[in-house]
Amino acid sequence: MLEIDHLTVAYGDAVAVWDVSLVMGERELVTVVGPNGAGKTTLINALAGLLPIRAGTLRFDGVDLGRLPSHRFCRHGIALVPEGRRVFGGMTVEENLEIGCYASAARAHRPQSLERVYGLFPILRERRRQLAGSLSGGEQQMLAIGRALMARPRLLLLDEPSLGLAPVIADHVFEVVAAIHGDGVAVLLVEQNVAQALAIAARAYVLEQGRIVAEGAARELAQDARIREAYLGQQC
Amino acid sequence: MPSLNLLGQALLAGLFTGGLYALLGLGLSLTWGLLRVINLANFALAFLGAYLSYQLATALRLDPFLTLAIVVPAFFVLGVVLQLGFQRFGISELVSLIVTFGLTVILESLIQWIWTADFRRLETPYVRATLKVGTLYVGVSGLLGFVAAAGLTLGTWAWLRWSYLGKAARALAEDGAMAAAFGVDRRRLALLLSGLSAAYAAVAGLFIALSHTLAPSQIYAWMGVVFAAVIIGRLGNALGLLAAAIAIAASEALTMAVTSPGWAPLVSFTLLIVVLLLRPEL
Repeated sequence: MLEIDHLTVAYGDAVAVWDVSLVMGERELVTVVGPNGAGKTTLINALAGLLPIRAGTLRFDGVDLGRLPSHRFCRHGIALVPEGRRVFGGMTVEENLEIGCYASAARAHRPQSLERVYGLFPILRERRRQLAGSLSGGEQQMLAIGRALMARPRLLLLDEPSLGLAPVIADHVFEVVAAIHGDGVAVLLVEQNVAQALAIAARAYVLEQGRIVAEGAARELAQDARIREAYLGQQC
Repeated sequence: MPSLNLLGQALLAGLFTGGLYALLGLGLSLTWGLLRVINLANFALAFLGAYLSYQLATALRLDPFLTLAIVVPAFFVLGVVLQLGFQRFGISELVSLIVTFGLTVILESLIQWIWTADFRRLETPYVRATLKVGTLYVGVSGLLGFVAAAGLTLGTWAWLRWSYLGKAARALAEDGAMAAAFGVDRRRLALLLSGLSAAYAAVAGLFIALSHTLAPSQIYAWMGVVFAAVIIGRLGNALGLLAAAIAIAASEALTMAVTSPGWAPLVSFTLLIVVLLLRPEL
């Protein structure tokens, strides 16, 4: 479904992602792990169309998305839950969700999508007239996920969804991600919580200094001595 | 102490002037609040619109309101072209202020070159028509200006609040990249908003022409007080702008009636400072 081939992304002269190749099949849950500053957010933002591609190709369902402007990406079924949530704080919860289905194909399913999101996150229904900026961090994360679901994505891009959340709430977020994946949505998860990410993903890529340094089944990577030492804080 | 009748007349004048402030401020508030473009040229555009309406009404003997059918679409295109220029050069908020100041000077010179620095007055039946309501005299052009101001600000406010495009515009103002990620075409929406703002300036221009004597230097006379109304009403908030504009103009009119006209300018800026002190988050 998603084929990234020798992708290079840069901010001005500073290259953040080098020559990355990555593939994802339908309904797969793949995680990209790595230290801070490895280029994980850059990679995921480029996949969402927020950053221009310097070199390489980005194909989704065989369509080359590489040269499309950002607002055309979501039409193809890609939705982003960005790092730091980035909800529209001055708008109500429901307005945030409505922006999620702004693209015309998604807008036609607005009532069903709203029901689905409110079913997944009942707290958002309770707070639907509140300003998003007044929500707690966990609620804002749920709103960011809900907003992305409103776009009816076939590929959900999640950037650090557990960052800054209390452990209980982070667990809930992971449960919801697993549930969304269970509904048939492919998920690309970038996480600093490597243990939890490797536990729910089928396959994983390790990104260091802008390059893929390891890839494979998540279960095997979780057993890998170097990974355990570097990311899971376990001595071997 | 002035009579009640005089106070009533002053309040009415304040209401009508407030409508003009709101009309002039609407485009400024929209582009500043939603696009982060401080379009100082909004005032010069309004005067260009005023002179065009004056010219069309005098030379072609058109009804002044019919001139809008020509000026408004032309100004919409002008606003779009202006925004295309801003996007082409990707200018910042501060730079937009400086660039549009330059544009103001150019437009002022253009107006002066075409219409000279002499005072111009649009003579139409509307200017002198008045209604008598109770003991108050209500100028017809002032009343129509107020109705237009209320209609446009309320309409714009409702559009931003309830329509999909309006919500997209607010999302764009908060986080353009995220709005784009969900399918909002930033550039096109910005062109629409800029065109709309310029069209509002054309409407403001017509009502300035109907109620005031035109001279190129008058462009600058409106800036301070309209900026105050735009900021007090909150950037991008059309309803707040209308309320602030009326409050400022009414206090000015009352000040003029109770003390002397010289004190009026003090009112808007005192209000601005007080509001900024109480609500510094603006």
